Amino acid sequence: MIVALIISGISGLFSYLNTGADRSSMLHTEIQKVEQYAPKLIWEPLQNEGRPMDNENLNALQNDYLDAWYVKQVAYKTNKTAGIKDYYTDSARENLYAFIALNKTENTTIEATTLSHNPTLEFFSEDGQLAVVTDRDVVEYKRVFKAEKLVLETTETSTYKMVFLLEDGFWRIRHLIKESSNPYLPETAKIKTDSLIIKGINYYPKATPWNMFGDAFAKDTIANDFKIIKDAGLNSVRIFVQYDDFGKANVNPKKLEKLKQTLDAAEENGLKVVITLFDFYGDYSIMNWTLNQRHAETIVSTFKDHNALIAWDIKNEPNLDFDSRGKDMVIAWLDNMIDLVKSIDKVHPVTIGWSNTQSAPILKDKVDIVSFHYYEGLSELDEAIKTMKKEIPNKPLVLQEFGMSSYNGFWKPLGSNVEDQANYHKKIQEIIAANKLQFMSWTLYDFVDVPKAVVGSRPWRRNTQKHFGFIDKNGVKKASFKYITN
Amino acid sequence: MHFKRTYTFVIGLVLLSSFAVIQSSDMTNPIQLLTTQTDYNVGYPVVLEFTASEGEKPLLYCSNSYGSTLVSAKAKNDTLQYVIPYNMTKKIGVVNWIVLDKNKSAAGQFNINPKAEVATMETYIGPPSIEAGGTDYTMLVVIPTDSLDNPVPTNTKVDAKFQFLNSEEKDAIFTKNLISYKNIYSKKESGRMLVSSESLGVNSKEFTINVWAAIPTDFKIMAKRPHNYADGNQVTTFNTSVIKDKQNNVVSDGTFVTFFITNGIGNILKTTGTTIEGIAYAKIIHPDFKDNWSIKAYVDGMAESDTITLNYQSVIEDFEVAFANKNREILVGPLQSFMKQMIPDGLHVKLLIYKDNLLVDTITKTAFNGYVTFNLKPAIYKNGSYNFSIETAGTHKTFNNKKLW
Repeated sequence: MIVALIISGISGLFSYLNTGADRSSMLHTEIQKVEQYAPKLIWEPLQNEGRPMDNENLNALQNDYLDAWYVKQVAYKTNKTAGIKDYYTDSARENLYAFIALNKTENTTIEATTLSHNPTLEFFSEDGQLAVVTDRDVVEYKRVFKAEKLVLETTETSTYKMVFLLEDGFWRIRHLIKESSNPYLPETAKIKTDSLIIKGINYYPKATPWNMFGDAFAKDTIANDFKIIKDAGLNSVRIFVQYDDFGKANVNPKKLEKLKQTLDAAEENGLKVVITLFDFYGDYSIMNWTLNQRHAETIVSTFKDHNALIAWDIKNEPNLDFDSRGKDMVIAWLDNMIDLVKSIDKVHPVTIGWSNTQSAPILKDKVDIVSFHYYEGLSELDEAIKTMKKEIPNKPLVLQEFGMSSYNGFWKPLGSNVEDQANYHKKIQEIIAANKLQFMSWTLYDFVDVPKAVVGSRPWRRNTQKHFGFIDKNGVKKASFKYITN
Repeated sequence: MHFKRTYTFVIGLVLLSSFAVIQSSDMTNPIQLLTTQTDYNVGYPVVLEFTASEGEKPLLYCSNSYGSTLVSAKAKNDTLQYVIPYNMTKKIGVVNWIVLDKNKSAAGQFNINPKAEVATMETYIGPPSIEAGGTDYTMLVVIPTDSLDNPVPTNTKVDAKFQFLNSEEKDAIFTKNLISYKNIYSKKESGRMLVSSESLGVNSKEFTINVWAAIPTDFKIMAKRPHNYADGNQVTTFNTSVIKDKQNNVVSDGTFVTFFITNGIGNILKTTGTTIEGIAYAKIIHPDFKDNWSIKAYVDGMAESDTITLNYQSVIEDFEVAFANKNREILVGPLQSFMKQMIPDGLHVKLLIYKDNLLVDTITKTAFNGYVTFNLKPAIYKNGSYNFSIETAGTHKTFNNKKLW
């Protein structure tokens, strides 16, 4: 018996060692292009001298040009030369190497990205081996570090002129000349915020919280819920678009369609929608900014003219990432994302869903509506609102999330019950009315299941999160439903 | 208790004073730029000088075409000096800077301008071969660069020079968008063109452009053969006239010519050749039976020849056949050619065997020393009456009701 086991073990090992590379992968024929760097890039109409340009060559040139920026950003961030030689010619790369050597000895590092390019093809040679490009108003965001300490955060718009050579199948930069450079001052039009006094609710379907646009998506369910919300006297909902779920930089058209149906359902039921972007996204690193911005760009440009849209919420509770990602990093990300959203949608107000009242004044001059969440004791709320109003005298305030769980079961025997919850909503609505706040409560339904990603796996947290609804999981309105609005 | 109060008081004073210091340093004159120069020649040292403020030595951020860095200050006579690193001053373009003091209010930029000096003539030319006739062209791109590898100023004059046959030309072109370029058109003639360029006294290398003849025009063909007999042995050689383009340039060597031969019964034979000095030769063996050929040649898709015809006469007028050995041995021959000479070995002779007017077998043999012998084995050809037909060189003879036994 033992001998048999040993033999089968050894033979298993042999057969494992005999397996080799899969034939299909032997020649490395498939090259997958991973999108790493996707700043907004718009070519000026082609009127170049020399040979007429075709799309295929232009595309190749554009890819290599953006890769050249990308390897440069990585090189200056790490002070390493990897990748430079693919995208800069022999003599051009010396200039980058000199910077890397200098910055390495001085312990200077630079994290940077470009957010916008407007290249003009000036010249394309007859043999297709040389091109001259002027890239106007390149928006460059930089963070400069000395001995790992941030010493400067700057955004510049610069114009570069470049000579490219096609060598070994790469369009390489031969000459690079910065022709002008100015500080970046994005123009932001004043956006009207008085079109609607928000009296709303945060919405997830009962069966699919935090997975609203998945396979179980059904417009009917959402339309029914929206009708309940409208009938309860509310005028708006807040919904969440998850970054990964929607396909990151390349937004999945199927998800967009579902989001459109949701907005259509809201419009049909006379509700307005606050769309919260970048849910479940927690990486603010500069290297991903361009990808994040393409994501936002697609969604914002798709829905900016939808009648149901009332505001863009850039990110839910970003202040919770201050400790892990660095406060200045998160704020810089938000700041630039607001600029992007406003550059596309000049009509709808922008807000950030801060998780507490203390963070609310951050970027108060950038946002059009200041949103904050409140889950603490009601006794301090009034005071907190007063403080906030003093700090932010001229922007509308929205209490964007608040609520109480009615869970007091096994995992939390001393939790609040349904009556406590009703009392809470009664009282908070009085405070809201007294302070003339706009509001969006949490949330319509008790949920059957809450994904671990939301509150972690601890049962007392998950079970608490399941019972914030005005309607229980059997569809029965709880006592709090009476106080869903003021 | 008293002690504690004093202590608090002292601490308070210290705190206050430190606060006051911060305040005052905030209030002192902000750092100001003393340097007035904003344009520098490339390669020259650049030092930015600022008013010093209270012993502070903030860093200077500066950024040029290729990258950004931080520069430390040197204090000198109540001023702060920043020496811009050489790797930045040796590249042309805008350098923008910010003094990284508390309020970062001092910021600006200066230009590093190219110098009117050429060290290398970076030259690109392509395509390397073009077609004669004056419509096709190649492009010369010249990037004159200085000793620090910077392109020269816009509107720098570059002389583009070409030599072709008897002509030598010089054209002035000017740099724009960092480069200068010139389209060089071919002339009517084919040949080699030499190209070079010069700027500010510096000359480039020599480059060669091949100007090939344009596509061929229609041509004539000729045939040459030792005799006009269809002996299946001699070789007919076709040749073209000198193939030229419309400008009278001889087409490039190696131009591929295909000769199509259509014979008397409409079959097509093909032979090919490539040109040398405009003439292509192609060979084909004579037919072994009387035939009429019409021949036409093509340079595929470009040009064609006229059609010529060739006649081949039969070499064998008649031949003898003898039956022996119970009629099972059939001797064909002597097969004699036009001078009564024995036909060269290898002529095909075909025996067709019919029984009851049905073709039973075809046997093909080749002539050797003017004869062919067919042996009909009894095991295969049973005794009986057969018809035979013998064909060679386009003639045939029939023998009916021959009995094999």
